[in-house]
Amino acid sequence: MPRRFLTVEDVHRARGREIVVDEATVVTPQALRAAQEAGVAIRTPAGPWREPPPDRGPDAARAAYALPHLPEPREDALAATGVVVTVVGKNRRGVLAELTAALAEAGANVHDISQRLIEGYFHLILTVELPPGEDFGALKSRLECMGGPDDYVVRVVHERVFRFMHRV
Amino acid sequence: MAFTDQEILETIRMVELETLDIRTTTLGINLLDCADPDLESTCEKVYSKIVHHGRDLVAIAESIAADYGVPIVNKRIAVTPAAWIAGPCGEENLVPLARAMDAAADAVGVDYIGGFTAYVHKGFTRADAALFDSIAPALAETDHVCASVNLASTRAGINMDAVVRFAEVVARTAELTADRGAIGCAKLVCFANAVEDNPFVAGAHIGPGEPETVLNVGVSGPGAVRSALERLGPDADLLAVAETIKRTAFKVTRMGELVGREAARRLGTSFGIVDVSLAPTPAVGDSVSDILELMGVDRTGAPGTTALLALLVDAVKKGGAMASSSVGGLSGAFIPVSEDAGMIAAAADGALSLAKLEAMTSVCSVGLDMIAVPGDTPTATIAGIVADEMAIGVINQKTTAVRLMPIPGRGPGETVELGGLLGTAIVQDPGAFSCRGLVERAGRVPAPLQGYRN
Repeated sequence: MPRRFLTVEDVHRARGREIVVDEATVVTPQALRAAQEAGVAIRTPAGPWREPPPDRGPDAARAAYALPHLPEPREDALAATGVVVTVVGKNRRGVLAELTAALAEAGANVHDISQRLIEGYFHLILTVELPPGEDFGALKSRLECMGGPDDYVVRVVHERVFRFMHRV
Repeated sequence: MAFTDQEILETIRMVELETLDIRTTTLGINLLDCADPDLESTCEKVYSKIVHHGRDLVAIAESIAADYGVPIVNKRIAVTPAAWIAGPCGEENLVPLARAMDAAADAVGVDYIGGFTAYVHKGFTRADAALFDSIAPALAETDHVCASVNLASTRAGINMDAVVRFAEVVARTAELTADRGAIGCAKLVCFANAVEDNPFVAGAHIGPGEPETVLNVGVSGPGAVRSALERLGPDADLLAVAETIKRTAFKVTRMGELVGREAARRLGTSFGIVDVSLAPTPAVGDSVSDILELMGVDRTGAPGTTALLALLVDAVKKGGAMASSSVGGLSGAFIPVSEDAGMIAAAADGALSLAKLEAMTSVCSVGLDMIAVPGDTPTATIAGIVADEMAIGVINQKTTAVRLMPIPGRGPGETVELGGLLGTAIVQDPGAFSCRGLVERAGRVPAPLQGYRN
């Protein structure tokens, strides 16, 4: 197993102008400073030392998908992303047109629309599909900026949330 | 997969109106490889490893909250018990270790870091003793560090020597943080049968069976349960009540599992457990006490409260167990008196006493949590309260905890503002009679028959 850490003590103990560590070694900030002050270079066999990505341990790779029987087996890069858009607000002309135009611009396909009107307020649920490669985050921030305090409020939620909560 | 409008609206309502949230995502980091013969080097490694692994936690939790539209209230870190990594250095004063943990928590932007911890249910190592002596100054000096100790277990019995030392630590912590309303004591808890994967502070730490790093989540949702019961109405019988709680707990737990697995995936680490606990906050509607009152007592603490709490906790566990194969941690209902608006009101009305709270903890709420007692409560009395609670845990083979706050200069019935999530505490009366004889005997309460299970 490679050396896990390089500390100030290790820097002080080192002889010579450079310390060679493994690529996975974590050099503490204090050791980096001490080495700099002493003019000692810290490097790996491959070149200068850079902070390695965190090594989360032997279990980490497998663990993310350890429960395949749950509603979501595995992220599939080729599958479309389901998105549920809910909108509540004062009824006026053109709301649905604005929303669907924004959805079309974001590349989303509308699958299902349901709307209810209660005393001048509307409640709209759109189930849409985002083709592979389209960015969910971008769609969400775009739609949630629409409307306003005196107009309507949009919520964009990943379909996964509903699948997890409502499917056994 | 199609969803009905009703399902969609139910989820939106739970999040928007019923304060459903993920109470905590806690990244567990094993620090055993940080042990070093030199305390300063140990601290250096501890700081580096926590920052190295925890750096992305807050950003990732926030990105998941945004993507899924579910608030993640707290981001925290749990580490290996400090006493286990302090062994090789042989130092008496372990405050520097707490300082290193505190600095790391600050650097990664989490509000609390748990793991200034020792397991002493059978006895003390030198490092355990050093840790006990360092807890009070460490909690007084740091902002983010939480300390916990395991004093008893069903297999080992109750280490009364440790109980007495813990009581002294509580008193000393209150003294050192007297200028801040004994706030140090809110970050200090003792356990019987401590769990290795508890994501909730103050008891969060990572036990010996845990992987290198692990992501645990704690869900909440008293508001969602209360609202489901409100819709069920007062005429439904207890089976219907239990069924409604189970269904709600299922949904809440599933949300936790989704967030936990997604956070683990984005961090590239193992997913550990979902802790299905009803964790209240001082916010209106986010109260376990409200649920009990809705179920059928005028005020929490009235006769019948323990029975209803038993039903509530059991139904939550059943719903949680169906929702996830990774239920762990404490998984019960928390009844922190100061953090629950309904509990505060019940205590103010005189409905909720220390004795009733203790009875309630025997049916699987987690323990005597955030209980304020007068600042002049004798150490022996604190030890007695702790010992009683440990006995409930040991005999019932369950986790129990005690988080007591002796509030300097305050007497029974007085109110203390703790601020933020910690809420408002009403000082409880521990009674006038002492248990000095018990404390002076010292030694260990042997393991009960329940412990001999092989």
